[in-house]
Amino acid sequence: MFEALIDGLFLVLQWKAFTLMLVGMGLGFMVGLLPGIGGPATLALMLPFVFKMSPAEAFAFLLGMHAVAATTGDITSVLFGVPGEGLSAAVVVDGHPMAKRGEAGRALGAALMSSLLGALIGAVALALAIPIVRPLVLTFGSPELFMLSILGISCITSLSGLGARGQIRGFAMGLLGLLFSTIGQERQAGSLRFDMGLMYLWDGLDLVPVLVGIFAIPEIVDLAVRGTAIAGDRQPENLQAGVVEGVKDTFRHFWLVFRCSAVGVFVGIMPGAGGGVAQWMAYAHSVQSAKDARDRERFGKGDVRGVLGPGAANNSKEGGELIPTVAFGVPGSGAMAILLGAFMIMGLLPGPEMLTKHLAVTYSMVWTLVIANVIAVVLCLFILNQLAKVTYIKGGLIIPVVLLLVFVGSYTANGQIADLIVTFLFGLLGYFMVLLGWPRPPFVLGFVLGKLIETYLFISVSRYGFSWLTHPIVIILIMLTALVIAYPFIQEHRQRSGRPVHA
Amino acid sequence: MRRGRILFSLFLIAVAAYAVYSASAWSFKAALFPLSVSIPLIALTAAQLLLDLFGKAETANGPSVELEFGADVAPDVARRRVIDIFLWIIGFILLVFFLGFPIAVPLFILSYLRLQSRESWWRSVSLTAIAWGFFYGVFERLIHLRFEEGWIQAWLGM
Repeated sequence: MFEALIDGLFLVLQWKAFTLMLVGMGLGFMVGLLPGIGGPATLALMLPFVFKMSPAEAFAFLLGMHAVAATTGDITSVLFGVPGEGLSAAVVVDGHPMAKRGEAGRALGAALMSSLLGALIGAVALALAIPIVRPLVLTFGSPELFMLSILGISCITSLSGLGARGQIRGFAMGLLGLLFSTIGQERQAGSLRFDMGLMYLWDGLDLVPVLVGIFAIPEIVDLAVRGTAIAGDRQPENLQAGVVEGVKDTFRHFWLVFRCSAVGVFVGIMPGAGGGVAQWMAYAHSVQSAKDARDRERFGKGDVRGVLGPGAANNSKEGGELIPTVAFGVPGSGAMAILLGAFMIMGLLPGPEMLTKHLAVTYSMVWTLVIANVIAVVLCLFILNQLAKVTYIKGGLIIPVVLLLVFVGSYTANGQIADLIVTFLFGLLGYFMVLLGWPRPPFVLGFVLGKLIETYLFISVSRYGFSWLTHPIVIILIMLTALVIAYPFIQEHRQRSGRPVHA
Repeated sequence: MRRGRILFSLFLIAVAAYAVYSASAWSFKAALFPLSVSIPLIALTAAQLLLDLFGKAETANGPSVELEFGADVAPDVARRRVIDIFLWIIGFILLVFFLGFPIAVPLFILSYLRLQSRESWWRSVSLTAIAWGFFYGVFERLIHLRFEEGWIQAWLGM
């Protein structure tokens, strides 16, 4: 096994594989920065180019690109409040307020360093977990995956509002997200729902215009209303010191980063759950790790822990997602499904062979994740000074450029003008949600998970009737969900009675 | 703000009620999930509406993870700027619809910089050129995104 580990490293360090990884990283860097253009779409576009490559070269190219896109997506999220990647939306919630407060350097330092640590933890998990993960994955059927998704939504809704009344709004927004996810052709019976006679809605609403609209438009409106730069009228911060502070923050909250990375790996392992869930669950965990209700109030207003959690989970989930993909040929996400295509092109069969005959290739993937992330983060740390200066440019100059990125990014979803209209409408919805205190994160998570939840529910009911509710793991997950919902109330109650609470 | 919340709650109830009404005509399989989502949505939003109408004023003393708009601009100025920016966004979408992205992008950026941001001609033109160069280089040449032609070009058969 050790020999295979070393062989895997040498496979990546061969000049051709290494050069291809650097090319992939360059592409991933740009894709991550541009809002809306997702890593999976780029993976799919690049798939035809791997035909003439060896397996190690192909995976160095594709994984190098994929790993870096997840990291650099955080940069756009922090600087502009526009999720660079669909998976970077949770970083916006605290990262962008930090940039507005003149702490862009610190937020970026924290995002990048936590991403690096997350990626390393994910890679180590991949290296260690392959032999032991089979029973875990096989234990999770549709009922368990359904409850896991419900737990994910509960995590974020339970901490999305101000007091008990805010909880109602949080859950209502989660339900609204689920409702919007049902638009389009229903998967089981094939009937059309809420299509309003528009062919555009037959496939349902695409995630990109919805996400970009709901997060980016309110930020642009805020920038226009304030009439200042993103960082306001503050004097430019000492960026280098800010970045160093962000890096230090990562180690100051190392155990939080570690736990959130573990969340990312776990969610990544679960087929279909994907990074959209991992980042929000990690964010929810960061918030729930606050000492008390007062400490929790800092989240959403620029708390560095709100950047560290999702930043780490976003990258650790890459290693997690590779585990079922490599070991069983069960892709953990859309991107991994495309990567599975690369396996087929290479003539590799995911499964036992990848753990025996092609173990060195499997470990070359681990090394690619490690090396690509280290190079990307070191490079980013060098250019952060220049990137963070963007937050001090006058809003009037930034707005048209950000609008261009937002709408071109949305347009990539289906290549139709309707994508722009959807972006605008969800931007309007997002603006009123922020203005009136209705939280957006539960809506987004509900929307992301809606189709999966419906499918899992349908399979669970069809296969087990209602007896799936008595499955042991389902019961544990139900109890965990109840605990997550009750936790803010318990915390508030204990605080009122004067006892300190630690998560 | 209270009136806004009430209106927003009513909007949500209307959306959920429409979902229930539509789902009532579908098969059980198709209707199960939308119904099990929209009925609790109506209940929760109605509870929120009742609390807004008859409950005590809300005190912001709990945890929140949402962004907050800056409050250091006079309300009437803020309102005017909000309307302005939404009109600019609608204008951009209309430009894309009528002229297509490649023409709409430089036209929109130049107009915004000159008319809204009141930048000098020199700065407006140079920034527009940079933005358009980026758009053309990255999206058209490098990524090869296919942009639909505008309605006007289609109408003229260009």
